[in-house]
Amino acid sequence: MLEVTNINKFYGGVRAVENVSLEVKKGKIIGLIGTNGAGKTTLFNVISGFDKSDNGIVNLSGKDITKLTPSNIAELGLIRTFQTATGFPRLTVLENLLVFSSKNNFNFFNNFLIKQDNSHDLIETAENVLKNFGLLEKKNQWVGDLSAPELKILEFARAIMGDPLIMLLDEPAAGVNPALLENLMSIITELNKNGVTFLIVDHNLRFICEITDYIYVMNDGKLIAEGTPDTIINNELVIQTYIGK
Amino acid sequence: MDIFIYGLVTGSILLICALGFSMTLKTEGFINVAHGQMLMLGAYYALGLTYIGFPFIIAAFLSVLFCGFTGLLFQRVLFKPIKGNGILVQLFTSVGLAYMINGLVGAIAGKRMLSFDIPIARVIKVGDVYLVTPYEFMILVIVLITVLILHLFLQYSILGKNIRAVADNQELAKIRGINPDRCSDLVWFIASSLAGLGGIFLGILGAVHLNMGWQQIVMILSVTVLGGLGSIYGVMLAGLLLGFAMEFGLLVFSSNYRTAIAFGVIILVLVIRPEGLQSLWQSKGREN
Amino acid sequence: MEGFLIFSISVLTLAFVYVILCLALNIECGVAGMWDLGIVSYFGVGAYSYAILVAPAAASYQHYLFGFELNPVFGILLAVTMGGISAYLIGLPSLRLRREYFLITTIAFSEVLRITFSNENWLTNGVAGIYNIEQPLKTFFSPDIYLILLFIVFFVFAIITYFIVSRLSNSTYGLSLKALRENESLAKTARIEPSKQYHSVYVFTGCLAGLSGALYVWLNTLIVPTQFTPNVTFFVWTALIIGGIGNNKGAFLGAIFFVILLETLSFLNLSAELALVISSLRIALVGLALILILRFLPNGLISEKPRFL
Repeated sequence: MLEVTNINKFYGGVRAVENVSLEVKKGKIIGLIGTNGAGKTTLFNVISGFDKSDNGIVNLSGKDITKLTPSNIAELGLIRTFQTATGFPRLTVLENLLVFSSKNNFNFFNNFLIKQDNSHDLIETAENVLKNFGLLEKKNQWVGDLSAPELKILEFARAIMGDPLIMLLDEPAAGVNPALLENLMSIITELNKNGVTFLIVDHNLRFICEITDYIYVMNDGKLIAEGTPDTIINNELVIQTYIGK
Repeated sequence: MDIFIYGLVTGSILLICALGFSMTLKTEGFINVAHGQMLMLGAYYALGLTYIGFPFIIAAFLSVLFCGFTGLLFQRVLFKPIKGNGILVQLFTSVGLAYMINGLVGAIAGKRMLSFDIPIARVIKVGDVYLVTPYEFMILVIVLITVLILHLFLQYSILGKNIRAVADNQELAKIRGINPDRCSDLVWFIASSLAGLGGIFLGILGAVHLNMGWQQIVMILSVTVLGGLGSIYGVMLAGLLLGFAMEFGLLVFSSNYRTAIAFGVIILVLVIRPEGLQSLWQSKGREN
Repeated sequence: MEGFLIFSISVLTLAFVYVILCLALNIECGVAGMWDLGIVSYFGVGAYSYAILVAPAAASYQHYLFGFELNPVFGILLAVTMGGISAYLIGLPSLRLRREYFLITTIAFSEVLRITFSNENWLTNGVAGIYNIEQPLKTFFSPDIYLILLFIVFFVFAIITYFIVSRLSNSTYGLSLKALRENESLAKTARIEPSKQYHSVYVFTGCLAGLSGALYVWLNTLIVPTQFTPNVTFFVWTALIIGGIGNNKGAFLGAIFFVILLETLSFLNLSAELALVISSLRIALVGLALILILRFLPNGLISEKPRFL
């Protein structure tokens, strides 16, 4: 589904990502761990088009997406999240979902001549999603007024509206309490059952090991290990550089 | 040669006008549109003081001080209460202030073009080369001294270091026990005095009129952005660069397009290097 | 007609010109969140396009080459088109920049344009400007009736603009603009292409500003470059902030409130000397109003509210 081959990224003289290759197979949940500054977010930025790599290739479902813009990549079904979940603060919860609908037509002329309003069907879909996540009664509130846990949950509600093929989650467990983490994990597994592939960056090793099928470990911009959660947790090198700290 | 000198004079006045603006931008984090009106206020203060009988030099000196205190007053009454309400609120409060200053000065002094009552000066001549008038020479000297003092102040004095600390990171500065309000007061005082000084220079070389603030603020904005938002040394370079650009541009364009040349340069620079001149000496490192 | 009534009607007629400008600024800056300090550019381009098409040929003491004396309908159409085209062209370089950098580039462009208007005598008659631009259909009506007619026509223009802008800001397109305003990176992950949306809204704003420029000349019957200083930009921004940025009703009422605030004092019949003082004081009054509103009603008279669907 997603193949990353020999990615290099330099900032000034600093190597953020060095010769990284990884593969995410369809239907899997893949983890990516590493210390701060290991290059995980840079790699995410390169994959999702927010940053251009110096060389290397990113393939999504057999299509070369290395040179596409973030919105083009999103169009192909790759949706990413950011480290801090803010949403669109001064849009309502419902609008936050509607923006992400894959049925939207944002073209100026289409909206100018024939009014493209959010159709009743679409609103209904969005309301159903909100209901599933327990956010329905807040649908007309500004997202800026939501609590941090609600914002985390909203990220997934949004993503569902966009029918993603693959989701890249940037530290979903950061700053999340144990109860919410349970909740997020069940959401992720549920989505995965429905065919969404995941690539997850996180610091929380227990969370990653519990949820993923396969883990890549990065340090100083390089991949230093990969394997199933069991092998990773017993890998000497990983323990030294990552858990040891 | 004379183009070079004109450029130097134009540039150093621009620099003085933009320095204070850039300091408030850096520490307070917003575009202070009223800075242009502070220039005008400086010129009118000086004018008023000479009318009631002060010699010009003393009037100018007092005017700079008055400007400083006026700026301090504005900071205390208008800007301190809205700190943290967002850049646009601060920016447009300063627009409102600009209208108020402009309107009040206009109501008191009228809309006529005025000028300082100082003797007309002859150009200093060295050998066969015409250089500058004594006024221009004095301005160059004062600008040089002011910039030097400001540099020493910011680099080496405790207050100056505090200002830089607040400008870099307000939260961190608070933790280190620096009072940001006192720094803001000081920055407003210095910035407004510098504006007053710039206004007096503009009045000496040209005329004193109600629109001088509006005319200058666009130029000041340009210099500051060109210098890389809030970088004081970038502003110095940008001021001089634009001064030269305007004077050299006159070789090609008619003098009516003098300021248009400056804006053309700015548009060009920003399109090629969006971070302004600052990016020339600051490599863009990024944390993961 | 009674003096005060005439005065009120003409103030409101002028206010409708500002309403259009203010609505244009609102969809660009209130809805899409851009920091544009150059809206006067397209206002000016529109105004000159109209003037050049509608004005009679130059008299011996004037210098402009054109002056087609065409039907004002063409003037308005050209003003809208040229407003859009100039916005498209200026947008090409400047829309790559954001926030402060965008702000300075747009204000710089507006100054370059104003200086060009002042100096290209062959096109604009320079600082002397173009006078006596005939108002359409003026000869068929008595002055009083024409005043009311003008009021109605301008009101219709303002209302139509209001409906178009409101419809657009409540459409999916408007939603994409708000998303960009709130969080550009996140908006990209929602399949929104920033450059396309920004450029289209910028051109749209240019068209509307061009329209209001044309109406402005129609109303004033004259055009001089000093009408197009950055002051206009700041005035429109002030009106928008007083009314409520991001809210089209706020933009509409803000513009009217602002023009009334600015013009009311000029109704008082005063000696010439006092009139000058008053004209300065009303600027101070606008400033005071702006400061007070920002302090006590930072979201304006009618703030942006959550939209219920």
